[in-house]
Amino acid sequence: MAEIQLRNISKRWGNFVGVDSFDLTIADEEFLVLLGPSGCGKTTTMRMIAGLEDPTEGEIIVGGTVVNNLEPKDRDVAMVFQSYGLYPNMNVYENIRFPLKVRKVDPATHDEKVMKAAAMVELEPFLHRKPAELSGGQRQRVALARAIVRQPQVFLMDEPLSNLDAKLRVSTRAQIKNLSHELKVTTVYVTHDQIEAMTLADRVVVMNHGVVQQLGTPTEIYDRPANTFVASFIGNPAMNLVEGDLKGGTFTAPHTTIHGLDAPDGPVTLGFRAEDATVVAEGGQITAPIYTLELLGEATMVSLKIGGALVSAKADKSFRAEIDDTVSIEVPADHCHLFDTKTGARIGD
Amino acid sequence: MASSALRAPLSLRVLTKGFIIFWLILAAFPFIWTLWGSFKVELDFFSIADWTNALTGANTERTHGSPFTGAGYEGAWVQEEFWRSVINTFIVCFFVVCTSLTIGTLGGYALSRSGYRYTFWLLITALIFRAMPPITLVSGYLLPFFEWNVWGILPTTIIVLVAINQPFTLWMLHSFFQNIPKELDESAKVDGCTQFQAFRLVIVPVMWPGVITTGLFSFLLAYNDFAVTSMLLSESNRTMVPEIAAFLGTTQTEGNVMFAVAAVVSATAPLFVLVMFFQRQIVSGLTAGAVKG
Repeated sequence: MAEIQLRNISKRWGNFVGVDSFDLTIADEEFLVLLGPSGCGKTTTMRMIAGLEDPTEGEIIVGGTVVNNLEPKDRDVAMVFQSYGLYPNMNVYENIRFPLKVRKVDPATHDEKVMKAAAMVELEPFLHRKPAELSGGQRQRVALARAIVRQPQVFLMDEPLSNLDAKLRVSTRAQIKNLSHELKVTTVYVTHDQIEAMTLADRVVVMNHGVVQQLGTPTEIYDRPANTFVASFIGNPAMNLVEGDLKGGTFTAPHTTIHGLDAPDGPVTLGFRAEDATVVAEGGQITAPIYTLELLGEATMVSLKIGGALVSAKADKSFRAEIDDTVSIEVPADHCHLFDTKTGARIGD
Repeated sequence: MASSALRAPLSLRVLTKGFIIFWLILAAFPFIWTLWGSFKVELDFFSIADWTNALTGANTERTHGSPFTGAGYEGAWVQEEFWRSVINTFIVCFFVVCTSLTIGTLGGYALSRSGYRYTFWLLITALIFRAMPPITLVSGYLLPFFEWNVWGILPTTIIVLVAINQPFTLWMLHSFFQNIPKELDESAKVDGCTQFQAFRLVIVPVMWPGVITTGLFSFLLAYNDFAVTSMLLSESNRTMVPEIAAFLGTTQTEGNVMFAVAAVVSATAPLFVLVMFFQRQIVSGLTAGAVKG
C-alpha cells in the first residue's frame, strides 16, 4: 500500500518529448487512470513508474522512497501488459506462481496463494493449460492473477482490455474494478478509451503530446473540461464545438445565436453536449438543415452542419425526420462551455 | 471428401506426382549410389570396362565370394584408424557448437534488446565477415599459427571455426530473439527477475527450438568444413572430411579409394540420424511462430 509521487518527470528521446514535466501525487489506494490518444505519453509515464524506462528528469517516489535507481523488481509493483506477457512455456499455475518463485517466497505458501489468486479471477478450471490454449479473456485473467498473487504495493495496467472483444471488455472491466476495491492497492491504469476511464477511475489524468491537459474526478472532467482537447476527447459523442464570436453576452456563428452567456467579448469556441440539447420544431438557438440522422435505440442522434463543424443533439427515440429537413436545437445557456479559440483554454467556469 | 472443384484433373495429378518421384530419385541418387558402391571393390565401383559392374558386383564376387563386401569399411576403420578422425570431428563439433551457441545466444539477445543504432552496424559487419570465403582468412592465420607453434592442433581449429561461424549464429539467434515480444522480458523483470534471470528463466526456454536449430547449423558447418580443417590440422589430428580427402589422394594401392567411399557413408549416416532426431525442433525453429504468448 503506497502513495506514488511523480516530481517534475520528463522523458525525452533526442528532440522528441515523450512526457513533459509531469507532476502528480497518487494517493494510497487510489485508482488513477491515465487517458489520452496514442502517443500522448501515458504508457511512457507508467513504464517510468514500473522502472522499464528511465526518466530524463525528475523523481519518482513510491511509498516514501525514491525509486529512480531501483530495478523494476525492487520497486514492488506488478504490471499487466496489453499483450498479456504470459510465459508461453509454463502452464497457468506456473505463470501465476512465477513471481513467488523468483522472489523466493516461502514455497510452502505458494499453493495457497496461487489458488487464492486464481479463484479471484475464476481461473481454477484452466490451471493446467498453456497460455496458447486459452482465449484472450482467459489470458488477460491469468495476467491479472499473476499481478495480484504477491500483493504488491502498486498495480500498473497498460491498456489491459484493448485486445478483448466488446462484450468481454465490459465484464473484465467490472472484474478489475471489483478487484481493486477488494485488494485496496494503489492502481495506475492506462487507456485510450474514455469509457473505461469514466467507469474505473477515482481520478483521471487526461494527457496529450506528453502534457497533462486536466486532472480531476471523472465528473469534473466530464462536466467542466479544462480545454477543447479534453472536451472533444471525453464523452460519446464528444462535446460539440462551434467557433464564433461573443459580443455583449451573445454568441453568434452561422445558423447560431445564443444569448445570456457571461464572458468578455471576442472570438470564442462554444461547447455543449448532445444530451444537454433538445431538438424542437422551431425557435431554438441553432437552426439548420439535418446533415444526418442516427438511430441509437435509446435515442435518435440528429447532426447539423454549421460552418465547418458538425453539431449533434440527442432527440427522443421516436423522433424521425428526413435529411435536409430544417430543425432547430435548443441549447440552455447554462449548459454551454466557452473556450478561448486561440489557446483552447476554458473561459470562466 | 474433396469437392470436384478443388480436384485437379487426372493428367495433372499424374504429372505432379510423377515429377515429385522423379525429383526424389534424382536428389537421392548420389547417396544411394555411394551407399551401394561402398560394399563393392574398386574394380567394380570404378569399373572402366562396364559400369553395370558397380550394380552387379562381378569383381567383388570373384574376390570375396559374394557381391557385397565390408572390405572398404574394414580398411578405413581398422587399417587406417578412421575412428580417430571421428573422435576428432566430434571434439571439434562439440566445442564449436557450445562456444558459438553461448556467445550467439548472449550476443543475439543483447543485440535484439538494445536500443542503440550501432547494433545494426555491428550486425552488418558480422554479415560482411560471414560473406568472406573462409580460405581467405586461413592464409592470414597460417604464418602466426606456425610462429606461435599452435598449428595442427584441435583448439586452434575450433577457435577459427567459431570465428567463421559466429556471425551466422549471431544473425540467426538475433532474429529469433526479435520475434519474442519484449513484454516477456519486461513482465519477468516486473515479476522479480534480474535481466539475466529474465533471460535464463523466461527467454531461453521459449527460444529452445531456435537454439537447437542454430546449434544444428553450426554443428553442420564444423562437421562439413574442409577449407579450415585441411589447412590447419596435422595428419594425426585430422577430422573426417580432410581424412576422406586424404584417402582419395592415395591411389597407389588398389582399394584405398574404397576406404574413402566407405568413410563417406560413415560420415553421412550420423547426419541423417541427427536431423531425424531433431526434426520437430528444427521445423518449429525455422517457422518460429511458436513463441507467441
